[in-house]
Amino acid sequence: MWKFILPIVAFIALAVLFAFGLNPNRDIHAIPSPLIGKPAPLFKLTDVSDPSRIVSNADLKGQVYVLNVWGTWCVACRQEQQDLLTIAQQHVVPIIGLDYMDERSKAQQWLQQLGNPYNAVAFDTDGRTAIDWGVYGAPETFLVDGAGRVIYKFISPMTQQVWAREFLPRIEAARKGGA
Amino acid sequence: MRGPALGIALGALFALLPALGAPAPVPAPGPQDAVDAYGELRDPALERRYEHIVAQLRCLVCQNESIADSNVELASDLRRQVREMLIAGRSDEDIFKFMTDRYGEFVRFSPPLEPKTLLIWGAPFVMLLLGALIILRVVRQRAQQPLDDTPAAGASDSS
Repeated sequence: MWKFILPIVAFIALAVLFAFGLNPNRDIHAIPSPLIGKPAPLFKLTDVSDPSRIVSNADLKGQVYVLNVWGTWCVACRQEQQDLLTIAQQHVVPIIGLDYMDERSKAQQWLQQLGNPYNAVAFDTDGRTAIDWGVYGAPETFLVDGAGRVIYKFISPMTQQVWAREFLPRIEAARKGGA
Repeated sequence: MRGPALGIALGALFALLPALGAPAPVPAPGPQDAVDAYGELRDPALERRYEHIVAQLRCLVCQNESIADSNVELASDLRRQVREMLIAGRSDEDIFKFMTDRYGEFVRFSPPLEPKTLLIWGAPFVMLLLGALIILRVVRQRAQQPLDDTPAAGASDSS
């Protein structure tokens, strides 16, 4: 009796394990953020284009906004830039950039050449803000609700599909919840 | 310079120097080099804790290396963070909590023993037990089988 049941049970267990483990849609390098549901870390940095201007997310309290972490060294950021521009034109929420591990002049050049989808770009000189946000690469895109809580993190280049599928419904829900 | 926190940490480091009788000047950090350029921490006990902590933290970029081993910029930023927190007198637990609050439990190579990590810690022992049970069963079954394999002629090693 056991000789028949055991292999079948083992097979099913393995099949379930593989179905989960080998799912091609699962990014094994994506680490779920412990920040989800927690207050967004506050930052107060200088503007990438104008060092005398302060960019702080404290000013965005009460608003749903997106924080997009990028850098000119990041190839995938170049890839998402066009989509970010398209998304920015919809004016759904403010998009704040966090320029990470970068040089000011390179970043300014990048924004001039490729276009600027951001309402403001904070320049993270020494990577401390990125550490506070648990950033370990770029691009990473966070969604913060009106109460200042991180409600979603997307790791990978942003696309319009991802925006429509993952971000827009959450933005709508966050606005309803906050109203 | 690179922000007030680093300034404070540097100040603390300099303040510690005379007390510890270390005459060597600390080179000022350039724009690129991380705090690693400072070399070892002056206090050997602190340095030991530092070595222990950075070996226990995963580099999120390379994921199979510790931040002690990794050369990527994030690892060096995190080493700087650990160093500053140590100098500021924070406990090891504080530092690990700082990291897991931001990067999740995955950042620790050895997760703490708590209900949700019970499976990770327990699995090896469960496997060991399972293996032992299987061996026990097989041995018992074999012991009950008749000895049909008569030893070859001349074989002297019998039990």
